[in-house]
Amino acid sequence: MTDPSSVPAARQPAARRPSARRRRRWSALLWVAPAFGMYGVFVLFPMLQSVQYSFYDWDGIGPATPAGLDNWKAIFTQPELLQSVVHAFVLVLFYTVLPVGLGLVAASLIRELKPGAFSTTARVVLFVPQVLPLVAAGIAWTWMYSSDGLVNQVMRAVGLDQYTRAWLGDFTFALPAVGVIGVWVMLGFCTVLLLAGIGKIDPVLYEAARLDGAGPVREFFAVTLPGLRRELAVCTTFTIIAALASFDVVQIATQGGPGYQTMVPGVQIYRLTFLQQHVGQASALAVFLAVLVLVVIWPIQRLGREK
Amino acid sequence: MRSPTQYRGTLRAAAVAAAAALLLAACAPGGNSEAGPAPSKPVSTGIGSEPVTLKLLVTSGVDVPFYTALGKLFHAKYSNVTVEVENQDYATLTTTIARTLAGNNVPDLVRVPQLGNLTKDHLLISLDPYAEAYGWNEWPQSQFASTRVAADGRQRGTGSLYAAGAGFGLTGVYYNKALAQRIGMTRPPATVAEFEQLLAKAKDAGLQPIMINGKDGGSVYPLQNLAMSSAGDAQAVQDWNYSKPGASIDTAATVKAATTLQRWGQAGYLPADVNDIDQTRAPAEFIKGNGVFFPSGNWQAPGLDKAGSGQFGFFLFPPGVAGGPSYAMTAAANLGIPAKSPNADVAAAFLDFVQTDQQARQETVALGGLVPAGPSDAPAPTAPEGSAVAATVSAFQEVLKNNGLVGFMADATASIHVNSLIPQTQLLLAGKTTPEAFAAKVQSDYERDLGQ
Repeated sequence: MTDPSSVPAARQPAARRPSARRRRRWSALLWVAPAFGMYGVFVLFPMLQSVQYSFYDWDGIGPATPAGLDNWKAIFTQPELLQSVVHAFVLVLFYTVLPVGLGLVAASLIRELKPGAFSTTARVVLFVPQVLPLVAAGIAWTWMYSSDGLVNQVMRAVGLDQYTRAWLGDFTFALPAVGVIGVWVMLGFCTVLLLAGIGKIDPVLYEAARLDGAGPVREFFAVTLPGLRRELAVCTTFTIIAALASFDVVQIATQGGPGYQTMVPGVQIYRLTFLQQHVGQASALAVFLAVLVLVVIWPIQRLGREK
Repeated sequence: MRSPTQYRGTLRAAAVAAAAALLLAACAPGGNSEAGPAPSKPVSTGIGSEPVTLKLLVTSGVDVPFYTALGKLFHAKYSNVTVEVENQDYATLTTTIARTLAGNNVPDLVRVPQLGNLTKDHLLISLDPYAEAYGWNEWPQSQFASTRVAADGRQRGTGSLYAAGAGFGLTGVYYNKALAQRIGMTRPPATVAEFEQLLAKAKDAGLQPIMINGKDGGSVYPLQNLAMSSAGDAQAVQDWNYSKPGASIDTAATVKAATTLQRWGQAGYLPADVNDIDQTRAPAEFIKGNGVFFPSGNWQAPGLDKAGSGQFGFFLFPPGVAGGPSYAMTAAANLGIPAKSPNADVAAAFLDFVQTDQQARQETVALGGLVPAGPSDAPAPTAPEGSAVAATVSAFQEVLKNNGLVGFMADATASIHVNSLIPQTQLLLAGKTTPEAFAAKVQSDYERDLGQ
């Protein structure tokens, strides 16, 4: 998978003599070789193997039989498989759009705060979810969402009794409820990253904007937002990958239920591999998911580049 | 603007990737078809005197103290054998078992939740020679049916024996004695209709009629029981469980059962948040008095007795008509011997021991909450009168007499439970699928799983 923080290496200035350039290129290759070797063995080779498996009917242990394009066809003909991909895109709204949007707001607000205990606390509180293992987050949220959990207790306390429900067991609200866990996890990461990005923006720009009579909102759109181009690209890339490849939170919180309401490709691939022992079908879905991720990430990477 | 040379680079990379993929595709993945040794090794019932460490891999939770106790009993009898109990939680064991058995560090005995591809890939040895050597063939054979696999590696209930166990799971309905008295229940319901009347009374009394774990499959129990009692012919369900060619669950009985269960859901007999209750929470709620009835299995009995001895009773799911046959879903707690086990003979001796030794059988009930397997003339273990454990043991004897033991539908294929039965019963209870569509979908998923 693409490293979200990678920026294109600066192209080497054209050397005068081609032989020197070639020599330098070869020595560069030498330096890259160990890393590339590891990458090849542990990333590229398994990826190619997945592509290979996707054309076979294989239980993971016994002999495999060629399956042609059957596994690929199934992705588009079995409603549960395609539906899980749709759910992953719904999660993008929660894992990406909301955290990045709210992160921008939070970062702009914290920037205004004078450095001190409060600002530090705000950063820590926002970042803590990022430190927790997602499985722990999933378990904690399962408790909070249960019929007697914190969420419903708070709602009862403020007189919203008729809206309480078992959130993760509700057909309408299960997927958004899982999404909210994603918002909670991703928000801190986005805020801290954007905050660091704001810190890098030249204060002179803010000063100039203010001299020109810009208010905080105008300042945000004219200075902060353009200055955060790269950080925003990293944030969206990272969170979109997390949304499309989500597994742990869903597996812990809902196991894809109720019905197939929160089924995502990650859980589906896991089940296909280990429960159904259809390694071929699982590989096809995994490769399909990887391609989807690349297709979605590609334009964001290009937009994020400095002009 | 990107220059054509840059595109050439991309093209070249794509070409290399495609070539590599083609190369890989040329050789099929996977091992050969004969992964394990031939099943016809000479076997011995001797233990020998060499020190042996017998490694058991079981599921976490109730299995661990239970098999540890059995291991100590075995060690007391054969002092050269030390039993080591390792555990993995159910979900992990299910997902990793094939790999564990194909690896290098295999246990001598392993709890096999489902046989899946274990026999097809020769990862377990056939127990036939041991069954003959120890005389298991003389015992009631229905207890071994679920772990017999035909030569095609698919159909169960016939063929070679691949696992045996200490005892049996058995499902029925627990009831809270105090609450049952409040709704005027003097004896277990004799028919499904009578049971429904009790549920309605409980509802009217402001009690939660049924506590059940709909999140992870508890609502499949009453569904199967309803299907069997409505039809009065459990054979269809059993054939389906055992992948008998042509077996179908898309029947009038299933549709009728699904209709009833859906009605229960709509009438408020099941908890409002049924799809959010898991198997940890359901018994806890039931113990708290939240629920008059709790359809579940005998493995809950020791826990319920511990929480309140004598407070909880158990009855078999009632038949469709008064005096009709009672059915109970059952599953043996099965252990198989991995093909790579170095101590197969000792492992087999342990399997024989847990089924025949009087004290081991007692532990099976007391610690495992399971009804012991074994010969028909073995003395029945004792349990305190009025306890839930005693009730499950006597229920088992009753159903054994009527030949009413049927396997769990959940075990029909490796994924039918999580991929079809659980989500489909959830949809059913939420009114998002019809009983007819339910039956058809479970059947089509089943056929897909079996590659039909």
